[in-house]
Amino acid sequence: MSLWENIKMALMSVKAHKMRSILTMLGIIIGVAAVIVVVAIGQGGEAMLKSQIAGDGNTIEVFYQPSEEEMQQGKWEENPFTQEDIRQLEGIEKVSNVVASSSEFSTARLREEETETSITGINEAYLDVNQLKVEKGRSFTSADFLGGRRVAIVSAAMQEELFEGKSPIGEIIRIGVQPVEVIGVLEKPTGLFAFGSVETYIPWTAMRNMLGTSNYSQVTLQVENADDIQPIGERATTVLNQLHDTDDSYQVINMEEIAQGIGQVTTIMTTIIGSIAGISLLVGGIGVMNIMLVSVTERTREIGIRKSLGATRQQILLQFLVESIILTLIGGIIGIILGAGTAYLVSFFADWPSLISWQVVLGAVLFSMLIGVAFGLLPANKASRLDPIDSLRYE
Amino acid sequence: MIQLEEITKSYTLGKEAVNVLRGISLQIKSGEFVAIMGPSGSGKSTLMNIIGCLDRPTTGSYFLNEEDVSQHKDHELAKVRNQSIGFVFQQFQLLPRLTALKNVELPMVYAGASKQEREERARDALAKVGLQDRVGHLPNELSGGQKQRVAIARALVNDPSLILADEPTGALDTATSVAIMDLFVQLNQEGTTIVVVTHEPEVAEYASRVIYVRDGLLGQNPLEKGGQTS
Ligand SMILES: Nc1ncnc2c1ncn2[C@@H]1O[C@H](COP(=O)(O)OP(=O)(O)OP(=O)(O)O)[C@@H](O)[C@H]1O
Ligand SMILES: [Mg+2]
Repeated sequence: MSLWENIKMALMSVKAHKMRSILTMLGIIIGVAAVIVVVAIGQGGEAMLKSQIAGDGNTIEVFYQPSEEEMQQGKWEENPFTQEDIRQLEGIEKVSNVVASSSEFSTARLREEETETSITGINEAYLDVNQLKVEKGRSFTSADFLGGRRVAIVSAAMQEELFEGKSPIGEIIRIGVQPVEVIGVLEKPTGLFAFGSVETYIPWTAMRNMLGTSNYSQVTLQVENADDIQPIGERATTVLNQLHDTDDSYQVINMEEIAQGIGQVTTIMTTIIGSIAGISLLVGGIGVMNIMLVSVTERTREIGIRKSLGATRQQILLQFLVESIILTLIGGIIGIILGAGTAYLVSFFADWPSLISWQVVLGAVLFSMLIGVAFGLLPANKASRLDPIDSLRYE
Repeated sequence: MIQLEEITKSYTLGKEAVNVLRGISLQIKSGEFVAIMGPSGSGKSTLMNIIGCLDRPTTGSYFLNEEDVSQHKDHELAKVRNQSIGFVFQQFQLLPRLTALKNVELPMVYAGASKQEREERARDALAKVGLQDRVGHLPNELSGGQKQRVAIARALVNDPSLILADEPTGALDTATSVAIMDLFVQLNQEGTTIVVVTHEPEVAEYASRVIYVRDGLLGQNPLEKGGQTS
């Protein structure tokens, strides 16, 4: 008798007792669903944390923090990254972009209106790497950067503040006393941690011409490969410290330490999930075993008939084993669907990403089948050992 | 084809041993039609179960088709039941959730026949017992006689050399019984060995030989011996 035959038979038998089967599966369903939800939300959260630290675009920020000694020696600089620094950083292997900027607060005026805004002088890579998109008007061109043109892109909040929502494209605003033409408006930021702040971006070269800014205050590296972030970040600090003849003023965040911290949280969570899943699946498995034992007793006569027609012990064993595996497998699949749905709802309403990895789904499927085997063996064995004559006589 | 030598069967109930069969030696040749009669509790069903390889004797040896089946292992006995023997029971013993056709297919399922072959042969067997227009019915949609026909179709579908029927007409009325017995006669004429357990002399008349069982032993025909038996 083929396995497929057994599976069809098991499906028929599950269908014949729909309510009972569903109730039997409940433990498995809840267990698997719980695992899927917790893992999905956990992995989503982990991914979110990591992306907030590392940025979505494989970036790492280089920051300037001179030691007290160096501060006392008067080695402190407001804008610590020179243009030469940037060129050197761009020369490092596997660095795909060097984002550099410098910002100040200033007053922007449009006729009688005025507002406080941050003015950020940026280099060409800035908008792309920071995933800032121009929604209205145009973005900067290379010519804008090279020529130091006095053109500006403003945030949506800035448009609200200074232009009362009207289109600012083509308007001339004054930063301090310097006139600047607005050429674009950025997309409104979305997401839980995005605040619409009042910002104005101009080419760094324009900023240098207008405000006399000589260097950059912020530098972020974008690397080709996420795995290279740490080593390349460190390489960059070495280069910078050499150029400036400093010990350790230029630094990067140690991603590994942070990853370890996140890893600890994940371990704790995994333990908790493991216990929930373990208990629930154990209870579910016992439920399956219980129902299968009842089913074997109920079907004693069927077993007797099958044996009288030539079914061997193994064939009867397989029949009942397949049945309990099918029960737990269906339970597992319902659990996966339920868990995935719940995870999706949670991520939808809490604005928290949820990741359902195929490994977890596969694991859930295999594990529920394993439960079916483990808790189906006893009933199946009982069925296979029934005496044909006694079974045929069973009322 | 059947050769029983000093077959005994005893059960232990508590501390007491119940000897149900107490030494039965018996030969049935291929192609015979044998009836087994005897009082209730005399051990007829027990004997049939041993002949049908559903049960093992406590002592004694049993040769079926020259094979010593009393030494067979469980899975070998299952194969003998599947290939060489067809059972017909008083209570029909059909699976209630399967259609007539699926019920008849069962022995071939365990023989490992392909789906197509199974269906074909099951239809043929059902046609042979006159149920070609009831293949899709569930057992509880059939009359007692029809159920027993399904059971006979199931018994003959694997082409066994031996069909064993334990009171096959016990739950049927006289007219239906006659039809069922005619089927057995037809099968017997086609060469199948048939052993029928019955209480009814009318049924026993179909057989070419009648064996009497009494208290676990073979006995004489009580009717022939008249009042001489005590
Ligand atoms: N599993 C068992 N344990 C103990 N005693 C048993 C068992 N099976 C049968 N017996 C006994 O064996 C005896 C013969 O039983 P069997 O069923 O063979 O009788 P029978 O001749 O077929 O009777 P009937 O005509 O009523 O069917 C009975 O006394 C019965 O109680
Ligand atoms: Mg009997």
